[in-house]
Amino acid sequence: MTELVWQRTPLLTIGFFIAKEVRNLIKNITNFIPVLAAIFVTDSTWLPYAIGGGYLVFVIVSAILNHHFFLYALTDDAVHLRTGVFSKKSLTLKYERIQQAELDQTWYFRPFSLTILRVDSAGSAGKEVEIPGLSIDVAQQLRQTMLAERKAVAAELRDDADLPSVPTAKANSPVDLERQYGLAELIRAGIFDNKLFVLLAVLIYPLSQTEVLEERVLPWLEANITFLEESMWLNVGVVVVCLTALFVLAIGVTVVTNYNLTLTIAKQRFQTRAGLLSIRTISFRYPKLQRVRIRQNLRARLLKRFTVRVNQLRPSAHAQQQSSGTFVLPVLTRSGLEELSRWLRLPTRQQLNWQRISPIALLHPSFWVALSAPLTATLSYLKWESNLLALALGASVWLALQLYVVARWQRYGFTQAQGWLGVHRGVFGHYEYWYPLYKAQQVDVYQSPWLRLLGFADVIIYTAAGAEVIKYQPLAVAKQMQSSWLHDIANNSTRWM
Amino acid sequence: MPVNWIPVEPNYKSYLQLVVLIDMAILAIIGASLYLFLPNNGWLPAPLWFGAPWAAITVFFGLFWSLRRYQFTAYARTEEAMFLRRGALWRLTRAVPLNRIQHVEVRQGFLERLFGLAHLTLYTAGSGGADLSIPGLALANAEAMKAELITTIANEQTDESDHD
Repeated sequence: MTELVWQRTPLLTIGFFIAKEVRNLIKNITNFIPVLAAIFVTDSTWLPYAIGGGYLVFVIVSAILNHHFFLYALTDDAVHLRTGVFSKKSLTLKYERIQQAELDQTWYFRPFSLTILRVDSAGSAGKEVEIPGLSIDVAQQLRQTMLAERKAVAAELRDDADLPSVPTAKANSPVDLERQYGLAELIRAGIFDNKLFVLLAVLIYPLSQTEVLEERVLPWLEANITFLEESMWLNVGVVVVCLTALFVLAIGVTVVTNYNLTLTIAKQRFQTRAGLLSIRTISFRYPKLQRVRIRQNLRARLLKRFTVRVNQLRPSAHAQQQSSGTFVLPVLTRSGLEELSRWLRLPTRQQLNWQRISPIALLHPSFWVALSAPLTATLSYLKWESNLLALALGASVWLALQLYVVARWQRYGFTQAQGWLGVHRGVFGHYEYWYPLYKAQQVDVYQSPWLRLLGFADVIIYTAAGAEVIKYQPLAVAKQMQSSWLHDIANNSTRWM
Repeated sequence: MPVNWIPVEPNYKSYLQLVVLIDMAILAIIGASLYLFLPNNGWLPAPLWFGAPWAAITVFFGLFWSLRRYQFTAYARTEEAMFLRRGALWRLTRAVPLNRIQHVEVRQGFLERLFGLAHLTLYTAGSGGADLSIPGLALANAEAMKAELITTIANEQTDESDHD
């Protein structure tokens, strides 16, 4: 046990603490609704300024205090934190329990070559440890010790002996694989991972609620831009131009955040490094892997690219915000995907025996879809009072939904190979999930009254990175799956996290 | 591997019935106070429209559901895993491998104490509360199982650190 040397972060990091306070404000904005209401209700002109100013002072004072009372100490095997202004908090995190490490060189620290180190622990409270303002050298060295913990590495090397599929060609060189993704690839990623539609939905909903659009914007547009009314095509053109601009903007965001994306694999350590303004490095050790997700939405299918995300154990508190700070490769060609799959030791794609679920699974959704036909027919009849239209509409809605149900069933499949459970689904896109079976936490066999009637059961497997349901297995098969998986898990003594 | 299901204490049925009665009584009190204290309650339908379904639901849950639930609830412990069967109409058989258990807990609610019952909960990683919880155990039995499980887990982990 080495002596603890408590350190304070550099003074510059006050900016980080201020940013954190502001983030907290935005996260807890609902708490301030009474205050906001007070601002709107009163007539006094000074109140909004008083509240705003008071809040500003509060943010700065609490940031200074938080910075002053933020102490950390680094030892050979753990990181210690002592934080808190009034209620003190002491935290010790063993390196070997760390799931993932992230170095965030934010734009405001880059000029000073400082960085934020962020690590996830495996505790049930989901404590994330953030140390701002480490110098890059120290942080990199620290991450090295964290992820290449000596004891753990020895265990891994032993595990490797049992796994024939490991590419061991360059076992001695420090870096096994390095790949860079160019601008063209990132633009592709921007096209198919475009958040434009999400953004639009988020923007349009509150706008439609507040009636600002109808009461203010439209009259203003009509008053000021009269030429718009002259041509319908001009209207359409304006909308198209606006959408295109937003689309390009969203691509730009993707390119900036992923600029100069580099994947490095070295001795079981997977690392991505990317960013134009803020450089972010995310790395994890292979034994911590809990799930691999290969995603290809419709646009990605057209562009023939894949997105791969690797999950580690995420405590439930973080389950919702998985998109931030996970290990993601946004754009991979097919050969790139195959290469990465080899390094992740996923089963070889050609030898897979995908299994479909029983066609009986179609009965239940088909029943509800069948109900939709008379419903749409009646509704449209009530609206337009036309028998033909009602029939046609009802039939086409039913047909579309029924085709979707069948397609969903047809494109679903699961497989077991080399200790992995794989599931693929998706009608328009293609989604593949891979779970290392021996790392599963619970296995359920579930029967609703309907399933019991048919003699089927759902199998639910809980892993540390989420649950997966395999529907409609014959009861005997489901029980067999449960007991054989349990047997495999119970008799596997390798590290699972 | 054959699984020997062990049923839970017969008291568990009475406990379920009491829970049903209390829940239904709360509903009844809310309904009754609507009729008694609400001014201008002429628009409410005759009390029988609520009373009859209420009685039917009470009888269904108090007699049929609690019996079925008690009959189906059982647990099993093998060398490899802990099993739990649960549910009345929607049925679940859950299994947790012993080497994935994170911690074990014995809890006793207020109503459970009246019957001398307790439940034993096994927690695993990352599942966020969806864990294995065996209800309707005698308190002494639950404590014994907990102690036994903890010993098993502890022994396993020393094995694993040797392996490292």
